[in-house]
Amino acid sequence: MTRDSRYAEARALQGHRAGFASRVVADAIDLGVAWLLGLAALLAAGVVRYLLTGPPLRLPVLPNWLGAGAGGVIAVAYLALSWAATGRSVGKQVAGLRVVDGAGRRLSLWRAFCRAVLYVLFPAGLLWVLASRRNASVQDLIVRTAVVYDWAYHAADEPLPTGDGP
Amino acid sequence: MQDSERALVPLRSELVGTPQSPDGQIDLRLLVAAAFGLAVEAQRRSLDAAGAVAGRLGWPLRVLTRPAVALARGSVAAARHHLDLDGWAARGLAEQRRAQAVAVNAVRTLIAELATAVLDEIDLDEVVAGVDLDRIVARIDLNQIAARLDLDAIVGRIDVDAIVSRVDVDAIAGRIDLDAIAGRLDLDAIVARVDLDAIVARVDIPGLTEQVIDEVDLGEIIRESSSTMASETVDALRVQGMRVDGLVSRIVDRILLRQGQRQTGPLAEDPPP
Repeated sequence: MTRDSRYAEARALQGHRAGFASRVVADAIDLGVAWLLGLAALLAAGVVRYLLTGPPLRLPVLPNWLGAGAGGVIAVAYLALSWAATGRSVGKQVAGLRVVDGAGRRLSLWRAFCRAVLYVLFPAGLLWVLASRRNASVQDLIVRTAVVYDWAYHAADEPLPTGDGP
Repeated sequence: MQDSERALVPLRSELVGTPQSPDGQIDLRLLVAAAFGLAVEAQRRSLDAAGAVAGRLGWPLRVLTRPAVALARGSVAAARHHLDLDGWAARGLAEQRRAQAVAVNAVRTLIAELATAVLDEIDLDEVVAGVDLDRIVARIDLNQIAARLDLDAIVGRIDVDAIVSRVDVDAIAGRIDLDAIAGRLDLDAIVARVDLDAIVARVDIPGLTEQVIDEVDLGEIIRESSSTMASETVDALRVQGMRVDGLVSRIVDRILLRQGQRQTGPLAEDPPP
């Protein structure tokens, strides 16, 4: 398949709701990014502790509840901020996806936060995409959002496309 | 001088062979012929006058005078025939031509003899030695001569194409032994003469480098190439994701025994909730 025909196929699907595989890929990448962010936070805490208490320099070992809680907070903050800002986290950027509300606009911070919390607490809600006729996850149904194919760059003050094509 | 006088005046020996007569007879016959010629000429003029008068008087008179005119003309013809005037005139002309030829030959012989005698007397080496070539050359104004030359006209006359067409460049090139010429070149000596430091010192390398960098936007090239590579990879991943999405959806729909396609179109086309 040539590049042009491949692009023609992709161009025709811009603005359409994304399917399960793309979203799983995007969320897996986001999970890795969140993990890296947590690791960076641990490293920062270790360095701070080294500076305050002296050697040895080692990663702090958190209790499970604290580790899970901190990881959840980091993930919620990362996802909520990225969805509210551009509608796409790193994973969705790679997969060419964007999170929008029911009208195709960027999410408000509150709606993005709720969606992020729901995903962190109940990630299995993504499986509903398989069964949904509109490729909607449980979180999408609750907070009335959608994930669409959107490869194009959009400036912050530019309205997002709601129809076919850019 | 005696030789030249002898050449100009024909001698008696040179006149041998020409018809000769006693001087008295020649003079008498010439006198008689001249007298008769005068008479004939007078007669001819009188006839012309009579003819003119007759022409004025008209044709009757002309008819009457015609026999007299014919008689007079017949007498003139008879006189010319009997006295051999034409023969004498031809002889006189021939004698005149012969005398001219003898005179021309004598003058030519004289000039040749004179030139030979003069050259024998002159010592050319001495003459040439006496010539002051420097003074002659000093008198020649080459600038003036050059100013008179119309070089444009001269050059315009030259057919350069014809000259060039005659030149056999291949033959000339074939005669040149390039190997021998190259063998004579001492490249080491040539290179040794070149002051590379001076050349490098003259070259504004920083300026050139800045110009090159200004012309070639390396950053833009790197950005374009890297972004192109990255975007191609990402695009391929995204397209594959789209296909897998469609495949998974079809499989699930078939398992769920669904009819029709999913409503995944653009949000604006969604049915109102």
